[in-house]
Amino acid sequence: MSTEAPSDAAVGQWRRLDRRMLLIRPVLDVVKSLPVLIGTVLLGRGNGWEWFGLGVTTLTVLVGVSHVLTSRYRIAEGQVEWTTGLLLRKHRAIPLDRVRTVDVTSEPKHRLFSLSAVRIGTGRHSPAQGASGDQLVLDAVSQAEADRLRTVLLHRKEIPAEAEAAPPPEEVVAEVDRKWVRYAPFTLSGFAVVGAVFAAVWHFAHQLNIAPENVGPLRELMDDLANTAVWLIVVVAAVALLVVVSLLSVGGYVLSFWNFKLTREAEGTLHVRRGLLTTRSVSIEEDRLRGVEVKEPLPLRIAGGARLTAIAGGLREGKGGDKGGGLLLPPAPVGRVHEVAADVLRENFDPATVPLNRHPRRALTRRLTRAVGAVLLPAAALFGLAWVDFLPSWMWQVTLGLVPLAAFVGWDRYRTLGHAIVGRYLVSRSGSLARATVAIRREGVTGIVVSRSFFQRRAGLITVTAPIAAGSGSCQVVDVGGSAGLAMAEQAAPGLLTPFLRREAQR
Amino acid sequence: MSWAIRTEVVQGEGVTEETLSLRPPAHRVSRRAIGYWTVWAAVGWVVLIGIQLVFVLTSDDAPTWLTVMLTVSCVLAPLHLLVMPRWRYRIHRWEVTGEAVYTQEGWLNQDWRIAPISRIQTVDIERDPVEQLFRLAKITVTTASAAGPVKIAGLDHAEALALAAELTKTTQATPGDAT
Repeated sequence: MSTEAPSDAAVGQWRRLDRRMLLIRPVLDVVKSLPVLIGTVLLGRGNGWEWFGLGVTTLTVLVGVSHVLTSRYRIAEGQVEWTTGLLLRKHRAIPLDRVRTVDVTSEPKHRLFSLSAVRIGTGRHSPAQGASGDQLVLDAVSQAEADRLRTVLLHRKEIPAEAEAAPPPEEVVAEVDRKWVRYAPFTLSGFAVVGAVFAAVWHFAHQLNIAPENVGPLRELMDDLANTAVWLIVVVAAVALLVVVSLLSVGGYVLSFWNFKLTREAEGTLHVRRGLLTTRSVSIEEDRLRGVEVKEPLPLRIAGGARLTAIAGGLREGKGGDKGGGLLLPPAPVGRVHEVAADVLRENFDPATVPLNRHPRRALTRRLTRAVGAVLLPAAALFGLAWVDFLPSWMWQVTLGLVPLAAFVGWDRYRTLGHAIVGRYLVSRSGSLARATVAIRREGVTGIVVSRSFFQRRAGLITVTAPIAAGSGSCQVVDVGGSAGLAMAEQAAPGLLTPFLRREAQR
Repeated sequence: MSWAIRTEVVQGEGVTEETLSLRPPAHRVSRRAIGYWTVWAAVGWVVLIGIQLVFVLTSDDAPTWLTVMLTVSCVLAPLHLLVMPRWRYRIHRWEVTGEAVYTQEGWLNQDWRIAPISRIQTVDIERDPVEQLFRLAKITVTTASAAGPVKIAGLDHAEALALAAELTKTTQATPGDAT
């Protein structure tokens, strides 16, 4: 770690990203621009396009190298400062008291040299800058430096860089139990992998003009299939898919959670560590913890499992690998999930377990109309297309067959609906296929939104949303009775609603 | 607004029923907002009907459903332009107290939003060209949550400036980082 020679303030010195990134970054950049390179070399041979491809690749590599060389950061005068860029200079400063989370990720590329990428989240949401606007990414620094940054940023305590300070004392809240891997197949995460692989292979074959039916082994398989009963094919295919998906899900669970550990450090920080190949370490300030969410997707619920996530300011939001910043417990027995939730919130019970107030019957009508309508509409469309001989008629018949299932989901969605105010918490539950129970601390509520659609008005229902100071987080209570919903909202944000309420005593 | 639903509140030994409802905020938006909403809705309809017209006129043998849709659009457009802005004007209301910003908006679907002054992070004034034409402005009040911005659209420009200045002053007077 080299430091810029003189520093004005004695506290913070300018530091650079780890030089070993110079070995990793160019290789990755070249790999990233391979499609362009291959495309231009293959297609544009002879007319100069390959030079364009080479130029783009060189530029990408140079930009990457200059990013590593020119990025500097320091912690001084109560803020984290960061500058980068050779031609286009960027400078960003984040006050230390705005730092909410520190997320340390080591992907396999980083682990080659014991490096880590550090993401510093502030949890501020400015529509103009988007989610990345108030986030600072240091990709990458040494693991020791990452630990130091984490401690300095979250505990506001200066630790000398080279001192290799002993890790702060911590208390283990939860660790993964290897038996929990049995819940993996019920997360259906393997489906996504199978789908992606299938789509990729299909797309690739299509690009290379290989028709699947012309490939030798596949054609033999097709011929064999033609002589087999349809129901047998369906059953075998379903079983095979289930097996593959289960295996992939188990693999995914092992890769992501095998050494999962949730600890609490003395200074009041929750610390999540997980991952086999890509290791991740997320720290959440307990002061910024607004609540927890217990997620029970239908298959996992049938197996008696659930997941726990944190609702807190500054957690990374996004898609794919960026998701799951707030994970507090991977799929685990639901009882254990509630124990951990209570522990994390420092309560002697999990607010997500309390009995909830049911919503009026009219909410059931709405759930059923929606679920069944979502099946009937496509069925009608398919019927129309079959009518004009565009599609075979079995398609609308199969869709129509889904109506009982849809009705069940609608009914289950109604059964799940509920809300309660318990102590410091506002609790709301909803969903069937993706059931979730949210418990948020009432002091984190930053307003109230009451909405009533045209149809809700006729049914005398409202939807109450309690926005929370945690990024896009909010707690929604759907289709609650008008008066009951307002009574709940009044309690959820004490005093806020009272001056705008009209009370009429009946009878 | 009022609901016919009753909650039972247990008070002592007797049971009384109390119905809660939100009272509308104190102030209406500017009357010129009707014109503003009409113009934007008209733009939408012109585009929609324009596209359909092009399809119907350019194809030699326009399918019946396309002509039917065009006719339906031509009937709905004036109705929407007449009804929606006036309906909105009756609904859209706002109020700022020492503790909170309170708005009511929408027409078929309605929203009531309340944001505590102590949680306000930014106060923005926006004016699109049509708003400038009608001397109107829109105030957006954001809190730390992405779900909670409160918008007051269709305010008279001068009134909006004064309101934003007042809100900014109150917000600055409130300590803390509003999260």
